[in-house]
Amino acid sequence: MTDLLQTVGTGTLIGLVYALLGLCVVVIFKASEAFNFAIGEFLVVGSFLFYIMFFDLNLPIFIALPLGLLAAGIVGALIEYLTIKPLLGRNPISMTMITLGLWFFMRACVQLIWGSDTYSFFLDLPDITLETEQFFFLSDPIWAGIFSILTFILVVFFLFRTRWGLAIRAVSEDQAKAMAFGINARFILMIIWAISSICIAVAGVMISNFGALAAGSGIVGLRAIPVVLIGGMDSIGGALVGGLIIGICESLAGAYIEPMGLIGFKDVAPYFVMLIVLFIRPYGLFGTVRIERV
Amino acid sequence: MLSIENLRVVYHDVISVLNGISLEVKEGEVLVIIGANGAGKTTLLRTVAGMIGFYDGDIIDGDIKMNDVSIKELDSADIMKRYNLTYVMEDRPIFNYLTIDENLKAAAYSRWDNKIKTDMEEVLDYFPVLKPLRNKKAGYASGGEQQMLAIGMALMTKPKILLLDEPSLGLAPLITEELFGIIRKLNKSGITIVLVEQNAYAALNIGNRGYVVEMGRVVLDGEAQELLKNEDVREFYLGAGESKRKSYKDAKRYKRRKRWL
Repeated sequence: MTDLLQTVGTGTLIGLVYALLGLCVVVIFKASEAFNFAIGEFLVVGSFLFYIMFFDLNLPIFIALPLGLLAAGIVGALIEYLTIKPLLGRNPISMTMITLGLWFFMRACVQLIWGSDTYSFFLDLPDITLETEQFFFLSDPIWAGIFSILTFILVVFFLFRTRWGLAIRAVSEDQAKAMAFGINARFILMIIWAISSICIAVAGVMISNFGALAAGSGIVGLRAIPVVLIGGMDSIGGALVGGLIIGICESLAGAYIEPMGLIGFKDVAPYFVMLIVLFIRPYGLFGTVRIERV
Repeated sequence: MLSIENLRVVYHDVISVLNGISLEVKEGEVLVIIGANGAGKTTLLRTVAGMIGFYDGDIIDGDIKMNDVSIKELDSADIMKRYNLTYVMEDRPIFNYLTIDENLKAAAYSRWDNKIKTDMEEVLDYFPVLKPLRNKKAGYASGGEQQMLAIGMALMTKPKILLLDEPSLGLAPLITEELFGIIRKLNKSGITIVLVEQNAYAALNIGNRGYVVEMGRVVLDGEAQELLKNEDVREFYLGAGESKRKSYKDAKRYKRRKRWL
């Protein structure tokens, strides 16, 4: 029993990071109905930007983190400006295709700049390892969970309590209507991409902190796909639930199914859950129920 | 104050919608634009509001002037900020998933003054039906309430010119009457109104002047009361021509319309 709780706990912590990844995809999907396939590369770029600030420039973490995240946000906004903005008002499929292209383009850029080496990545965060008679949680995942949930809450607060957030939600619903009421939809879309890439950078730093950072780390970004498909493509709460489900199911698969000889099943399990959920609820657990008046 | 000169607009580089339309809006009036479907009325309003680019349309000729200054290069947010011109799109341009309160606040996004709260109360006084629904999602409001909300949102932007695109679309006659009463009240309070309507009779009744648009051109203009009496307008837009039966071929007064879409 304690074994199970331990596994679920570990899964929850990593699940919070996945939830953050899902949030990044959901925010962009709500605004422009495009799925951001390049999320993994955004993650790597964000982490490397932080790497420069923290390890290369040796800034203290409370300066390096905001600076790194700001840089990630600027990169996100720049990419939006160059690639997505010209497509405003067109078919969202073309934006999705663009992000597919960005995926490979950004991967190549990262390899050109930083090479394919593995960079050791160790944040000197205070040790808060939780160790009791039955449970044992490592310090790094706990920090990752804390940072992720904090970022998640901040984003939700921004979306639902500020005038910018209101404008973002208005643009997300209908760009043309928002423009007609004087909301600068193009600028708001840029803000959305910046926010999304900042969140991805937070997740990236936390994930890199588990081990090391390399150009190939971006593959973890693909976890966002089952997360948002389970939670519903346009639901922020769904991203949280989906993230937790994926995290827990991954950790359960790792603890109980892999020892049966199915090595690597941990990576497949989320997609199994996704398939089952999609069979039952094609729009995901919390996908929007379109408003229909009676 | 607003003049449109020989404007030509093309969608997707091939579909010509406005073919040299010219008209003028005078300060403080209610200008009514009537025309059949596809005549280019909505395109005209989109172009004036600076949103034609969003719909992949281009102005290929002509000019839009506000107090003799060309505004055709400006985008929608700029036009709204500089000239207090607000465009209320057709089919109730509200945000279905935001509450009515949030809708009004979102519409005030372009403003930074601290009077937004009091203005909101003022707008709700104009439309008392919205008051009990303030915290409900706008998508659940009835058609009439949604259209009133749309106009209320436009009021939150503090307009001097209001472009209304078919506010009576899909509303019951009684509600339409109420709505037009409100539009007249707004006009009395000093807002210039450009009203595009299919409901020609009701619109011309509250309007000062009117234009009839066909195939992207103005074919007729005049005082609203004159237009109401005009033989052609009565026949084509009010459905009340001469009482004796006519041959079908006589009905084709204007040349056959060629449509690309």
